[in-house]
Amino acid sequence: MTRWPTRRSLYLMPFLPVFFLVACTAPGSSSYSSRNDMSARQQQITRGRALVLDHDCAGCHSMGVPSPIDPGFLAGTTDSAQFQIGPFKTRARNLTPDNATGLGRFSERQVFNALRYGLRPGETPDVEITSSTPGQGNFPARPRYLAPPMPWIAFRHMTDEQLWAISAYLKNGLKPVSHRVADSEGPPDFWASAWTAEKTGPYPAPPFPAGAEKGGQ
Amino acid sequence: MIHRLSLLTLLTLSGSLVALSSPHETYSASHERTLPATDGANPDVLVNISKKPKTVEVNITAAVTTLFLQPGVKSEVFAYNGRVPGPTLDVREGDHVIVHFRNDLPEPTTVHWHGIHLPFESDGSPFHPIKPGETHNYEFTVRPGTAGTYWYHPHPDRRTGFAIGKGLFGGIIVRAADDPLPASIPDKLLILSDNRFLRDGAIDFPDPLSPNGGIDEENGREGPILFVNGHVMPRFTIRSGEVQRWRVVNASAGRIYRIALSGHSFLHVGSDGGLFEKPREVKEMVITTGERVELLVRGTDAPGAKSVLQNLPYDRYAPQTRPRDWQTTRDLLTLQTTDETPMTPVAIPATLRRITPLDTTKSTAVRTVVFGQGIINGKTMDMSRVDVSTHVGATEIWEIENIVGMDHPFHLHGFQFQVLDRDGVPEPYRAWKDMLNIPKHSTARIIVRYDDYPGKWMFHCHILDHEDHGMMGVLEVK
Repeated sequence: MTRWPTRRSLYLMPFLPVFFLVACTAPGSSSYSSRNDMSARQQQITRGRALVLDHDCAGCHSMGVPSPIDPGFLAGTTDSAQFQIGPFKTRARNLTPDNATGLGRFSERQVFNALRYGLRPGETPDVEITSSTPGQGNFPARPRYLAPPMPWIAFRHMTDEQLWAISAYLKNGLKPVSHRVADSEGPPDFWASAWTAEKTGPYPAPPFPAGAEKGGQ
Repeated sequence: MIHRLSLLTLLTLSGSLVALSSPHETYSASHERTLPATDGANPDVLVNISKKPKTVEVNITAAVTTLFLQPGVKSEVFAYNGRVPGPTLDVREGDHVIVHFRNDLPEPTTVHWHGIHLPFESDGSPFHPIKPGETHNYEFTVRPGTAGTYWYHPHPDRRTGFAIGKGLFGGIIVRAADDPLPASIPDKLLILSDNRFLRDGAIDFPDPLSPNGGIDEENGREGPILFVNGHVMPRFTIRSGEVQRWRVVNASAGRIYRIALSGHSFLHVGSDGGLFEKPREVKEMVITTGERVELLVRGTDAPGAKSVLQNLPYDRYAPQTRPRDWQTTRDLLTLQTTDETPMTPVAIPATLRRITPLDTTKSTAVRTVVFGQGIINGKTMDMSRVDVSTHVGATEIWEIENIVGMDHPFHLHGFQFQVLDRDGVPEPYRAWKDMLNIPKHSTARIIVRYDDYPGKWMFHCHILDHEDHGMMGVLEVK
């Protein structure tokens, strides 16, 4: 049994973190004082947890209840819940920090680069990337991209701070779970012809209002 | 589901994906002809020009030449002394070896003496390139106890796959004074290689940024034509009842062989660093890139019978670039049993030699090497960086983890190691190794002692395209 995010929930995604942050930092919030005692690292991990929950990462990357109460939370999908993408199969991988089957051997920067640039962490060097053009600014000349339907095209618009928070949570906030998800199958160009700028739109997003928008008041 | 699939529609995937899902379009059936039977003789041996005892002095020149790799089709190749494979370096334990090397290629090169324990300056690693037109003397003394089968090949920075694919590889045999196998057993060297050609006979190296170049970068370059000692489907002969010693070298850039001889089993008697303690009976052998195996082949057929040595399918590939024809079985050679009357097989000793295990209690460090695709521990190679620093005499354990869905063969320069376990299963027999295949999503632990020879030693994936793209690190021994 797999849950899919509704179209409505995806529309709301970019705004949810804002609501959350406003709510949890408002004076008078019952948890305000305890939060204030947290280390900066702990706060980052907690922010990452919120982003992971409200972006429904568990909708694809978990087997059971999409909640941190479930022992299989973010431990990857089962064979029966794979995506058929044309002739290929995508299987949502284990995001817990298990070394052999999860993200344990990837750095937070590799996870960041996956969310911002769509680059597969096991196949992309752990370096700071300063360009989206293949061959420039440490962007691989032959990029190996995450498979659809991973919505990194949307996630890349999150702020650096938000993406680092997600990376920090996945790497440090979860217990490792040993669960091997079979490798996804895809085209030999690792989706490079699918994720072109022509097909995915510009990053960063153009100033508001762009062509489809009518502006504010 | 609807939502995410509609995202895909936006990506307009369909057309381009069909085109991309057919790797190796340059493979041409017209090249897969069966060729006339060729003699399965050993490659020529390098001539020793020294008159001194226990000294082997040879000349090797690497140059561009034109050869018939495929019968009737000329190809421009790089060759050692005009041959593909190059002539064999045949030496004895304790010999002092001097190789007068000349680079007549249009590009820098080196000669790496794969598996030999020797001084850093003679390792032929990317640290010591030899420019076009230059000469260099490689010198080393063959250590007692290292009798076995090795090979030599170029190891220049980022060009190893190209240079070996163009034809630069040759065998090395180190012989022991006290070899336990009966001297009457014929010794055969089988250097396995594969290649891919364009219609005009040129060796096919696609543009690195083309789709086929991408598949080569991912898989390691493979070709549909398999060679044994530079011959397609040669004919070897054996007498009924005879036992032969086959020293098999995998000189391919990316192909992992899985060989079987119809109607026969093998006695697997040795690996990279020489003989095992005891022979092992096996039906087939997986030989990873750069690896060597020593097999005893027994002439169990009746006089006049024919057997075929075949390469069976082996799935080392990631799903994205697995060749469509990966399940094709390909013939390597014909083994013809002669018409002579059967002979009485020689007795094979039950114990070949003693291999002293390296002592895990003496290990002073555990090194973790994580293989991604094209990266080691998240990094590509930087020759100005030292990835592992240690000292002469230290014993260390290396834990090599492959976290991606493609096999990566591990190679360490300079020092032979012993395998402790694979995925936690203790290695059932002892062997000296310099190559170890790390299958997809698996882990192996090895133990190594850095006996003498300080220097900077490479460790890398021996899929040559991976190595050339930076899947390599530097071990500094001080």
